[in-house]
Amino acid sequence: MSSLRSKSAQDISDLLDEYGIKHGPVVDSTRSLYEKKLKEAMAKGKKGKPSPDKTYYREEEEEVTYEYRTPVRSDGAGDSGSYMRSRPEWSEREFEHETSYSSYLRSKPEYRGKDFVDEPAMYDTPSTYRNSYLNSTPMKSQDAPKAPKSSRLIPLWVQFAFFLAVAVFLYLVFSSMETNESLKGIE
Amino acid sequence: MSSTSQKHRDFVAEPMGEKPVMALAGIGEVYGKRLEEKGFDKAYVVLGQFLVLKKDEELFRDWLKDTCGANVKQQGDCYGCLKEWCDAFL
Repeated sequence: MSSLRSKSAQDISDLLDEYGIKHGPVVDSTRSLYEKKLKEAMAKGKKGKPSPDKTYYREEEEEVTYEYRTPVRSDGAGDSGSYMRSRPEWSEREFEHETSYSSYLRSKPEYRGKDFVDEPAMYDTPSTYRNSYLNSTPMKSQDAPKAPKSSRLIPLWVQFAFFLAVAVFLYLVFSSMETNESLKGIE
Repeated sequence: MSSTSQKHRDFVAEPMGEKPVMALAGIGEVYGKRLEEKGFDKAYVVLGQFLVLKKDEELFRDWLKDTCGANVKQQGDCYGCLKEWCDAFL
């Protein structure tokens, strides 16, 4: 675009603003830099126009699922770790995410049956969220035959079992300690 | 603090006065020569350019790359050097 050379400094400045390029005054020493930046921006701008439709669609989809994610994130420590890992994968494979989501839901009732008092209360709200979410998107469960488990490094049941084992172990340790302390307390 | 070079520390310690462009961190013989050919023969001229680019990192890096072909590390060193000098003396 040699026509850039013939433009006035004010025109270059206006063009830079149009493309949203941060810039200083257009003087002799900065002119060639800004002309180059404008060339790049123009080249990008021509290619960029047809694609926004696609990106908008993807963003829309991401937004929708993100709303349902936030209540889940506040859950137990072990689970959030695995969730964080599956998140980047989720953004790439939109359909597979929904199936992994539903498998997560299935394993939830298992977890509720355990000893922790606080957890069930936390799980009530997200489960209602998820139920309505699943009802509203019936079409996307087509990819159920695909194995969602491959997206996790450690299977979920292993995590639950490990967590349980640690909890039981701690309980045993604590209960054995109690008897000692009570003896000391008497004296 | 120990991530800056001796050159950087020397430059930032005092007003630049008439120091040559090669006194700037990240600018050695080769890049210094190229800058001199383009008219940037003193450190203060490069400072002038830095200021005209509103001390913006990206703009300054791009300009340095275009003008003397400095690589990413050198761009960063030079930018950091000038920025710190400005913070101290400007």
